[in-house]
Amino acid sequence: MHIVDSLLLAIVASTPLLLAVEGEVLVQRSGIINLGIEGMMLTAAMTSVMIGSFAGGIIGAVTMAALFGIFTVALRADQIVTGTAINLLALGMTGFIYREMQERFTRPISRSGIDAIAILAWIVVPVVLAFLLWKTKFGLRLRASGENPEAVRSAGYSVALQRWSALGIEAVLVGLGGAHLALVLSNGFAENMTAGRGFIALSIVIFGRWKIKGALLGTAVFGIAAAAQYALQASGRGLPFHLLLAIPYVVTLLILCGITGRVRAPEALGRG
Amino acid sequence: MRQIAAGALAAIAAVVLLALSGIAFGHAPGELLSTLISGSIGSSFALHGTIVKSIPLLLTGLSVAIAFRAGVWNIGAEGQFIVGGLACFLAARFGLISSLLASMIAGAAWALIASLLRFWRNAPEVLTTIILNFVGFHLLGYSVNGPLQEARAQYPQTDAVAISLSTSGEVVIALSICIASWFLLYRTKEGLRLRATGFNPFAARWAGVHVNAQIARAMAISGGMAGLAGGIELLGVTHRLFERFAAGYGYSGIAVALLGQLHPLATLLSAVFFGALTTGAGELQRASNISASVATFGQAVVILTLIGLSSRAKRGIP
Repeated sequence: MHIVDSLLLAIVASTPLLLAVEGEVLVQRSGIINLGIEGMMLTAAMTSVMIGSFAGGIIGAVTMAALFGIFTVALRADQIVTGTAINLLALGMTGFIYREMQERFTRPISRSGIDAIAILAWIVVPVVLAFLLWKTKFGLRLRASGENPEAVRSAGYSVALQRWSALGIEAVLVGLGGAHLALVLSNGFAENMTAGRGFIALSIVIFGRWKIKGALLGTAVFGIAAAAQYALQASGRGLPFHLLLAIPYVVTLLILCGITGRVRAPEALGRG
Repeated sequence: MRQIAAGALAAIAAVVLLALSGIAFGHAPGELLSTLISGSIGSSFALHGTIVKSIPLLLTGLSVAIAFRAGVWNIGAEGQFIVGGLACFLAARFGLISSLLASMIAGAAWALIASLLRFWRNAPEVLTTIILNFVGFHLLGYSVNGPLQEARAQYPQTDAVAISLSTSGEVVIALSICIASWFLLYRTKEGLRLRATGFNPFAARWAGVHVNAQIARAMAISGGMAGLAGGIELLGVTHRLFERFAAGYGYSGIAVALLGQLHPLATLLSAVFFGALTTGAGELQRASNISASVATFGQAVVILTLIGLSSRAKRGIP
């Protein structure tokens, strides 16, 4: 296989992951750890196939994000516990619906030729998000909500509003990611098909030091490392298939170890 | 008292929402509930199923409770359960005690990887433990498809282990661990330091607690219990390893621990409730073709109800 082809494959295959990383950077900058991103993406993958479009994915992700926000932003409940509950909810619900409506998941899905979502994720979204975060007042308030929410409040702005906006944008991105996973990369929905992508995304956010540039770099590093798995599989030599499947997760652990020097999370991250 | 009421409300909410989602997809609610109840506590066979499911849930629940009490987000009980099962299988030829010890050591070691990454690289446990679950899952997948596959090499599973554990044996071990956890947390200095670390690590440090060592010990105990759950499940129930061996017991442990308010004795009640829910859901799948994953849905509803109630309670205090 040509090296360019493999790299291109790696880039396209990590598009859902990148969208999740981008969304999570924004949300964590506003002071929230969304561990429920895995469940959001899984739900989006299912709803995108049920409705048969990318918009369907967004609907699913927004619904889960709203539920997550009610508990973490409005009720100020623990974010890790809420995220875990969202993941269990998505896993249980998608498993239940999948069995109830199996006929809806077996129909063929039409695909378009050009992968617009990949281009969106790798070029358009990073530029827009970086501009939004660093060059606008909205971005300043959003980052301030993650660093020093008291200051935002005393300046007369609502911290909750910033966090809800960040969650909303994340939901759209993750919704597109889940839909891309189900509609473009796979042939429809399968139970637990996200296979930890949400958690990998959270790891890349830290590796990328909560920056959009870092998100792109981290996802590219991960994507290429994970693509090495396919190349090894295709070569038919070396490690057994089931050990190859573990590679993305081992790479994620390495990525988490690759955090060198002083890493500083947003000051108020995880606090209600 | 308030906590008991919240727990009961959460449990009821789970069953009600479960019935509602059944109705939404055209199942008869009465039939659904009666299957759920008769399938979990309606006969001696069903009761046995509930007990057998409650045991791993109790142990993973205690595992999560101890880690959370120490303020460590160990979401890795699933992976620790798997490596516990693997170690137990490998050590089975050395007898019952050795194999169960091996499962505890393996679970503890798997959990300590996360602590090491925390101390060495400041990697958060909440992520490393989850990622390690996936690594453990594929390690098991490799084992049952490769070196540990049954002699006939027909299915991706191991041969049956030579030793086994009776249900009463399982109950005795699980209850002993439950009481021991309570004793550890509330009757020993170690438990006091552990809870102090979870309550406020800075204050604990000022009070002379070696916080990192304390966290590592809590993680080892927590992982050891989840590993033991895997060992007991192998010797008492499945007798073989296969890809879906852990069956979500590790993740369910989080719901069990939270419904038990992270208290070992209340975790016992919580484990029996979720054991009944899981068993009833399995019966639903057989009788009405409703996915058994509704049990996972029920766990999520329980957690969300509990945190909703507790954050309302907190807001009531000025």
